[in-house]
Amino acid sequence: MSIIEKIKENLKVRIQNNLQRDYIRKILNIIGSKPLLLAYGATFSSQSDKYLNIVSIKNIKKSYNKKSPTAYGSLFLPYELFHSLEIVPFLPEVIAGFTGGLGITDRTLKEASSKWYTPDLCTFHRCASGAVELDLFPIPQFLICATLACDAAQKTFYIDAKKYGIEDNFYLVDVPYEKNSKSISYLAEQFKMISKDISTKLQKNLDFARLENTIKLSNEFRYWALKVNDLRKELSVYPKNFNGLNFIFPFHGLAGTKDAVILYKNIYRELKKLLDKQKNKKIKTDRIKRLLWLHLKPYYKNEIFTLLEKNNYILAFEEINYVYWPELDSENPFESLALKTLSHPLNGSAQNRVDMIMEIVKDYRIDGVVMFSHWGCRHSNGSGRIIKDSLKKIDIPTLILDGDCLNKNNSSSGQITTRLQGFMEIINSRF
Amino acid sequence: MYTCGIDIGSVSSEAVILQRDDLKKDDKNFSIIAYIISSTGGDSKEAAEKVLGNALNKAGLKREQIYTVTATGYGRINVPFADKNITEISCHARGVISYFPDIKTVIDIGGQDSKVIKLDSRGNPIDFLMNDKCAAGTGRFLEVMAKALEIDLSHFGEIFTKTSEKVDISSTCTVFAESEIVSLVGHGVDKNKIIKGLVYSISNRIISMVERIGLEEPVCITGGVAKNFAVVRALEELLSVKIYVPEEPQITGALGAALLA
Repeated sequence: MSIIEKIKENLKVRIQNNLQRDYIRKILNIIGSKPLLLAYGATFSSQSDKYLNIVSIKNIKKSYNKKSPTAYGSLFLPYELFHSLEIVPFLPEVIAGFTGGLGITDRTLKEASSKWYTPDLCTFHRCASGAVELDLFPIPQFLICATLACDAAQKTFYIDAKKYGIEDNFYLVDVPYEKNSKSISYLAEQFKMISKDISTKLQKNLDFARLENTIKLSNEFRYWALKVNDLRKELSVYPKNFNGLNFIFPFHGLAGTKDAVILYKNIYRELKKLLDKQKNKKIKTDRIKRLLWLHLKPYYKNEIFTLLEKNNYILAFEEINYVYWPELDSENPFESLALKTLSHPLNGSAQNRVDMIMEIVKDYRIDGVVMFSHWGCRHSNGSGRIIKDSLKKIDIPTLILDGDCLNKNNSSSGQITTRLQGFMEIINSRF
Repeated sequence: MYTCGIDIGSVSSEAVILQRDDLKKDDKNFSIIAYIISSTGGDSKEAAEKVLGNALNKAGLKREQIYTVTATGYGRINVPFADKNITEISCHARGVISYFPDIKTVIDIGGQDSKVIKLDSRGNPIDFLMNDKCAAGTGRFLEVMAKALEIDLSHFGEIFTKTSEKVDISSTCTVFAESEIVSLVGHGVDKNKIIKGLVYSISNRIISMVERIGLEEPVCITGGVAKNFAVVRALEELLSVKIYVPEEPQITGALGAALLA
């Protein structure tokens, strides 16, 4: 184990032994200070990982410090709204994923269980609720969630609001099933009302200039994210430890910030260099098989990606990185953000997700699709059959890999390894 | 030349030694020199050593005469002397087509897991399903129930054929099902009817996997449970198909491993 890894391990153990909000804040303030953060960033072997960690720590730190109000948000909201209102987004489900890396999910799950959160609820939400019950997450001033996935937040955020006595600051965004002009107006009106209400509560006027700037930054982020996705269509080699499944927080929570622009610009630069090398045939890629990964991954120690790498498999693309929305219109910001939300492939019919998958399979020359079937995720798992059937029609093997992203006790590593290895053997037999 | 396949399962381990003219993937000219079936116990490495040693003795061969060893099964990664490891999915598929070349669906019911494998016209696996973390639908389920009923598993076939009525077992969990049958016996319910109910219970778990993956004939069953006549009959009845059973279904994985060596 390197010195850096030892330091990280030591930090993890310290947090495990001091599970308190103030201690987490203290740690975040120490590692989140500029010199230390840059030094920490320098420990990563790739630029993409470096910037991902820097922007993530920086923004989580903000949510623990009380300089600006913190707002809990469910995953697929347009976070441009938060940034334009100068409220710091905190995504409990996503941060619950970080708790997996910290090795504290046994504690958060136990706490959730003792507070009557049913075991068949998604583990991301149970871990998040457990962390709130244990007073580990920052105290929110607002809570905003959507009827769009991940919809467990509708109930759990309300429980959180009650805990902090701020039920009046709980907002539920009703996202219509159909994507049409009526839905856009209906949703835009809700975004407008929520923005006005929060501004009033913060004793401010709705800052349209700031909203316009946020929209501009969001478009810039989108531009770089699309460039990254475009070059990945050809890319077959990645920086060490690069995993596209790690980018869910900035992809959503930082949309509309300079941090997202910087991060995606840096990912592009790093991957572009690799693509150039690949094109100059300095890197052999002929034996590499290309997978599309659906949903997320386990956030505790697991063998999945080592096994894939050992067998020359790469994640050519992940559905979570698909840019699903059109360029935003700064002259109609609320309508534009409504269209963005309605365009999410998990909204509406399951066919929307299938269409996205078909497009990715074609564009990224996919050899096989792995759908990680995370325990309790109805939104994703409910489409398993139609996805598998559709891919079968175009002769693409699909593996529905049952598991749990956060609860290692609800997932058998032996079974996962056998399924994954068996799946690779099926793909290999085609070459 | 000689190749060896070793299948380390959770309950039993098998070794098969083959004599072959060449190492072609679709080799048909091979002969089984020896095979061994023994219990795995608590140590996979030890089980692998033991089963190989016994197979070599039976064949009258020395270790260095074996050209290559392939490990499969749950404990495949714990066979230090194996030249490679391949999953049970590919090995069962290969083993089955050496018996029945036209098979399209393989049902494998082992001690700890059960799986359904779909094959293409060349016998390559194209899709598969495995049971989840629960022991219902595996050999362990039947073993636990036989013990609770104090009836040897080998009698299940005869009892199944002779008994016309069954008692539905509502619990799918092995532990709860065990309590349920203890309670049924306590209430004086005929043990034969309980056995018939248990056989349908495990078979229904398998049927749901077969239906999910899509039934395509001909169908073959492998694994230790394939020796249980009652389960094979129940599956045939529920699927309305004939199910082929290899001569020694328990060595199919090891045979496939030896052929893929």
